Amino acid sequence: MDDISRAAIERFVAAAAGADAVRIRSAGKLSGGAVQENWFADLDIDGGAHAGRLGCVLRCDSPTAGVAISHGRAQEFALLKTVFAAGVTVPEPLWLCEDPAVIGRPFFLMRRIAGTAAGHVLVKDRTRGGDRVQLAERLGRELARIHSVRPPQPALDFLPAVEGSPARHRIAQHRGFLDAHHTPYPVLEWGLRWLERHAPERGLVTLCHGDYRTGNYMVDESGLTGILDWEFAGWSDPLEDIGWFCAKCWRFGNVAEEAGGIGKREDFYRGYEAESGRRIDREAIHYWEVMAHMNWAVIAIQQAERHVSGEESSLLLALTGHIVPELEWEILNMTEND
Amino acid sequence: MREQPQGHALLACARQVLRDEILPALPAERKHALLMVMNAMSIAERQLRNGDAPEAQERVRLRGLVDSGDAGLAEGNRMLARQLRNGAADPGAPRREALLAHLRATTRQRLAESNPKALPKAPDARAPV
Repeated sequence: MDDISRAAIERFVAAAAGADAVRIRSAGKLSGGAVQENWFADLDIDGGAHAGRLGCVLRCDSPTAGVAISHGRAQEFALLKTVFAAGVTVPEPLWLCEDPAVIGRPFFLMRRIAGTAAGHVLVKDRTRGGDRVQLAERLGRELARIHSVRPPQPALDFLPAVEGSPARHRIAQHRGFLDAHHTPYPVLEWGLRWLERHAPERGLVTLCHGDYRTGNYMVDESGLTGILDWEFAGWSDPLEDIGWFCAKCWRFGNVAEEAGGIGKREDFYRGYEAESGRRIDREAIHYWEVMAHMNWAVIAIQQAERHVSGEESSLLLALTGHIVPELEWEILNMTEND
Repeated sequence: MREQPQGHALLACARQVLRDEILPALPAERKHALLMVMNAMSIAERQLRNGDAPEAQERVRLRGLVDSGDAGLAEGNRMLARQLRNGAADPGAPRREALLAHLRATTRQRLAESNPKALPKAPDARAPV
């Protein structure tokens, strides 16, 4: 963060927060990606509603990300605002700057949260995340709050509407991808046919996180500190998120703990049911766990393709392709009897 | 004749050096990258050891199931995929058992190369954990 950007951000926050003055005490780059940058920024704010010390994260597109995704930050900010207002534990969204004149690209600031998110650590190290019955219940409650957001939502009008059955919509998406891909996947076709034959009709349609799983929430030693990674959010059948969270492929090897590898399925369900007031149909979740394996298999093929096509050389992406046979094996296990 | 030891044996030997000598010397935050490298080497080693046998077996089985003639593996699988989409293996369909057995056999072969730890211990030990 150069001096010009620093001064520009300080002026922007002072105006947005109604403060007399803002100073960035310290700032530095956090985990980076090809598309987004995250900076931590500790602010000293004089005057206004946020007077005092404030720990923030600044999110912006990376300088090389191009124009096509420049709306990304504004959309992400709108999602965070919506779910924060619905009572979901997320980093509080603070201020959005869409004016590229300030630092050259759109950005927003959110309150910084602490903890760890790494899935393989959480399932092994039970000192993290606090009591696991409470954590599973809490994650159920949080998901129910996400699902309390219903269409239409003018602030979320960038999310594509889903007509008809969300399950059939997903099947059509996957078939479209497989038809255009250079390599056929007969086991996925078997699975898609099973999903088609058992597809539920359109029921309740809500805001769904789209990637609600261990690895995408943060905990400290006492419990949950925030739900992260909202880039796959959209309208769907709420059972899709429940199936994704519980699916065997997202337990990080700790398969006995059926709620995301960190807790009991019934604890997770109890929290969800208490918060939503809706009973979870146990039988219906199996369908969405099959769908979860299917979704993950297609995403894994797409990630591997970024490496295979030469677009981005990456050992992690390359190895992701080799997860597919295990997901196919699981799909066969789950679907061979009917 | 290729020089001995061949590719799969070289990879196995090199991986052992990484595991025994390099991995313990790495700081915790760098170990994950090396574990990924070793995993990639294991997959390559198993593929080299198997050679073309798994794909040759898959092609033979496939010819008995779809009328793929001289078509390559990709085209044969494309035909199989189309048939599955059209219901050729639905419950009650005459070829369901044969098609399912083929899908099982092919997935088992690919799993044996990509991630053998996920294979059940014995052919019929598929009961849920």
